[in-house]
Parts: sequence; structure tokens; C-alpha cells
Amino acid sequence: MISKNNSITDSYYLNDTFYDRLMALNESWKLETPRISTITLEDKQACESLIFTEARLADDLRLEQWLDCYSDQCVYWIPSSNPAVDPRQEITLEFHDKRRLQDRVARIRTGVAYSMVPVIRTRHVLGNIEYWQGADNEIQARSSFIIDALFDGKHRILSGWVGYSLVSKANEWKIAVKQINLIDADCLQENNTFFL
Amino acid sequence: MTGYFDDLVQAGRVHRTVYTDEGIFSSEQQKVFGETWVYLAHASEIAEPNSFVARKMGLRSVIVTRDKDHKVHVLLNRCTHRGATVCREKKGDTTPFFTCPYHGWTFRNTGECAAIPHQDAYGEGFDKSSFNLKQIPYVSEYRGFIFATLNSEKGAKGIKDHLRSAADRIDEWIDHNGGDHKSIRISGAQQYTVHANWKCLYDNAGDGYHPEFSHQSLLQMTQQRYGAGMDLDYFAGGIDSTPMYSQDIGNGHTFLDQRPCMYEASAFDRQRPQPGREAIVEQLTKEVGEEKAREYFEMSTGAGMNLNIFPNLLFIGNQLQMITPLSVGLSDMTWYSTSIDNVPAAVNTLRLRTQEDFTAFGEPDDTANFEACFKGMHEREIDWIDISRHLHTGVDKVDNNGIVTSVISSDIHMRAYFAEWKKLMQSNDESSLG
Repeated sequence: MISKNNSITDSYYLNDTFYDRLMALNESWKLETPRISTITLEDKQACESLIFTEARLADDLRLEQWLDCYSDQCVYWIPSSNPAVDPRQEITLEFHDKRRLQDRVARIRTGVAYSMVPVIRTRHVLGNIEYWQGADNEIQARSSFIIDALFDGKHRILSGWVGYSLVSKANEWKIAVKQINLIDADCLQENNTFFL
Repeated sequence: MTGYFDDLVQAGRVHRTVYTDEGIFSSEQQKVFGETWVYLAHASEIAEPNSFVARKMGLRSVIVTRDKDHKVHVLLNRCTHRGATVCREKKGDTTPFFTCPYHGWTFRNTGECAAIPHQDAYGEGFDKSSFNLKQIPYVSEYRGFIFATLNSEKGAKGIKDHLRSAADRIDEWIDHNGGDHKSIRISGAQQYTVHANWKCLYDNAGDGYHPEFSHQSLLQMTQQRYGAGMDLDYFAGGIDSTPMYSQDIGNGHTFLDQRPCMYEASAFDRQRPQPGREAIVEQLTKEVGEEKAREYFEMSTGAGMNLNIFPNLLFIGNQLQMITPLSVGLSDMTWYSTSIDNVPAAVNTLRLRTQEDFTAFGEPDDTANFEACFKGMHEREIDWIDISRHLHTGVDKVDNNGIVTSVISSDIHMRAYFAEWKKLMQSNDESSLG
């Protein structure tokens, strides 16, 4: 069935408990009140460095290093509605665990992914970033984004906001959840086969 | 006009202007997206009385409503007063009335004009019923699939007559999804623009020839990461000697059957691993036992049927794809996903994670090729689009019902739908809504 390739992570972690946690995060990211950050400056700097690095590696198509920004038990989620609903109830634009994220990178790396020929160049701009303490070793963050995507000489702008759950293991911060909320999530999409 | 379309659509080739000409596109909006049955919505999207969805029937903006007596109406979303868009929302659940924002004219979800502000100024003999919203006169449903047409002859016969044996294939698709059409519901949509004529999308719907090439990225990645015997790898190699086949099933409808390969053993085992696969397998097996769980796994995997209802409804896996023309060179390709009532929740989670697979790994490369074709069709020096594969090889077999079965890589799909397209374009039918 599935080969025993060690680079492929299994997906036992994505169970109902994990989905419930995603929905709790979904609520937390949407809080309307100002967030009083109690996190240390050191942690804040580490988290900021992580999400900027992740955006830069995606833009530079250093996709293997980009994957390393994510924990082994991660979710990358682009809802198809605005606001997001439970992904157990409704199809998303993309919803990947670590394994399917690796699949996405491997597809592009074949060199015959024609949706990326010529390659789509992107530049992410993140702003309005807020950080606050989540559970235990987790920091949550929320950012607005604009992505300029260039394909075949034509520019296209995507925008929206991102919710993050960032976790620290052995003093290294990783992205556990990234939820990308496009302002036009429920409208017609173009070729978004790069990483948002 | 007869000779004109005979010149454009020939036995094994189609003229490029069929895709690129503005005049032909404009004419299609009447002849194809008016005079034949057009798919508009699934019954589950307007399950409750006074619910609606806004849709397009070709270029027409329509509101598909269910009135308080459960009857379905297809109303032109154009105020009969000055033309403004009456309904500006995409869907609603408790909407017995629609009020035009411009002058407040109000219509029932049956189309009836209910109120005109300060009506007395229109004089004594004024008849407000002459301002009812216009409706598409014929609406017909087959097992949850709602279609409409302007054409009185087709309308009188109903959708089932038009589907013919495609109705049997819809039944098979419903059987794959649990067998009870009332328990199948739409669970969201993935919507994409394609910068190509709508027929560039439709061409591919029954094309068994392209996967080995267009989907190399998917095939190579899967082979590298998960080994052989996975997903679509039965499309690589001598596909015409496989038991898969494609069919012309009448009235422009076509069918491509992957099941003989995909379901030769377990289709679920072939499926690229979905997020949370192991967790769900473990949970469902515990909940319902191994045998029943196995059944759920297979029904969560795509049906293996590419059933194409001309001109705009495609069954692909467990999803429905609706193709809507937006302009001669721009199309809306919307994938509706499906869930099932009365099954353990984890089954639908598994179905959703599975339905996200092809749109991430397959469709983007298809779209790139549709758009590339449409670009090429503008080269003035080359007139023809070839649709002659297996036209002269004598492989086709016709049965007693007139169904023509060909090998999987045949262009029979394109020949069949273009024959119907030509018939419609040559017809003198021009229904009007008065």
C-alpha cells in the first residue's frame, strides 16, 4: 500500500482531537479584542524570524528548506469559504498534512508540473503581525499578507490573512498550523499551485 | 447556416473558430445554453423551502429557488423594471421574497411580482403581473440533479428522456455513493477560472489519451514516493489494451470508464494517502468493524466514472464539475464536492480529503494545457483541431441501444459531443421568454 520510505511521515496525528484543536485555533485567530502579549521578546523574535523565513523560502523556491519550517505534525490549510468552516464539513482549496505537503513539493520538483512551467515567481509581504501565548509551548500569530505572483509575464495580487500556530521543540520553533484566508476564498481562483 | 457548420465541424476535425469566434460564442448562449437541458444545481443546495442559489445558465444570471410548496423555479435575475440585478447574494436559506435594491420592486420566489412601491402612479389599468420575473419555463430533476431549458419540445419530454442511458450511469454513480440519492449532498465547492473557451475544458472530459502525458508530474511523484500500482498509473503504457473504455451514450453525452482498472482490486489502496488516513482507518475499523469500514473506504475513493452530460455537467470521481462560459475566452470551472448523510462522520472527512487530491495534483496541469490550446487556436495559419483518433481503426462497437463503445484513448467523446453541438447550432429553434 504505502511504501516504507522513512522520509514519509504517517498521519495518525490528524485525528478528531487535532481537528477540534484546529477549530479552537480558528476561533482564537478571529478574536476581535486587542491581544495582550505575554510572550518574551526572545520568543517573539524567534517566531517572527520563522514566519519571515518561511515566506522567503517559498518565494525563493527553496522548497525542501521551506518544508523544514513545518513540524512533522503540521497542517497547511486554505479554506474555500470566508470565514473558514470546519474542514470535516466542507471541501477546502487545500488541506495538507506533512505528507501531502511533501507530495506537493515533489510534484513541482519533477520538472513536468506544467502549471508551474514557466515557474510562477512570488513575493510575499507580511504585515500587521500579532503574537500571543497559546497552550503550553505554543505561540499563536496572525498576519495580513499580500502576494504578488508573476506567471508568464503577468502580475496577479492575492491577499488575505494568515493564522499560525507555532510550536517549540528542543528550542527550535516550527509551524504546526498555517491557515491561509484569502479574501476571495469563495470566489473563482486562478492557478495557485505555488505556496501561499 | 447548415453548410457553414458542416464546414466547421467535420468527421475528424473541428475548425479553430468554433472556439475563438465571438459570433459563434454569442450564438451558443441561445442554441446550446438555452435550447438544450443545462445543469443548474443539486437539490441538496436548496433543500429547504424558501432557499435559493444564484447560478448562470450560459451567460444568463438566474436564481434557482425552492418555493414554500417545495417547487423549484429558475428565475431570470434581472428586474423587470429597469434591468438591475435583483438578487445580489450567492445563496440564502430563508428568502421568500427578493427586493430589487434600485426602486424596491419585490418579487416572490415563484417569480410573481408581489409589490411595487407607489404603484398608483402607473395608472388605473396597470397590471403588475405583467412584471413578474421571467422564468426558464422547463425545469426538471433527475435524482437530485436539477436541469432547465427554454426549449418547449425538450421541456415537454423532461430531463430523463434527454439523459437516456446516461440516467443509468448516474444511477451507478449514486450506487457508488451509498445508493440513496437523497442522502447525497453538496459540501462546498472549489471554483477556478480557466482562460480558455468552455469547450477546451469539455474536450478533456472524455480524453483517455492525455493522462500519461499531461499528468506526468502526478505519476512521477507518486511512483517516486509510493511505488507502483498507485492512483492513475494504469494510464501509463498500452492503455487501449486495458479493459477501460469510452462511450458515446447519445445526445452528446459520453462516458469514460476507469473502473475496470481502478477497481480491479481495492481503489482505496491505490489512492495516494490522504491527510489523516491512518487515524481514520483506525477509528472507522474500531467503530464499524473491518468489513463495513472497507466498504466505506471504497466509497470514499472516486467512483472511477467520467460521465459527461452535455454541455456542462461532469461527474469526476465523487465530485461534480460544472462548466460555465463567462466569455469566448474565459470559463468558470467549479468542482462541487459531495458528502453523504447517515454515515459515520469520519467517512465524510475521508471523502473530503480525497476530493482535494486531484484538484491539487492533476487539474492544475490540465488547466495549463487547456489555456495553451486556446492560445494556439488563435494562430491564423493553422485552421484545424484534430479529433480523429480511432476514427479509422474500426474498433468501435454499437449495441442495440445505439451506444457506441470505443477504446479508452479514442476521440469518440469529442466526435459525439460535437455532433450534438452541430445539431443544436444548426437548429432553427429560438425560444423566447416573451
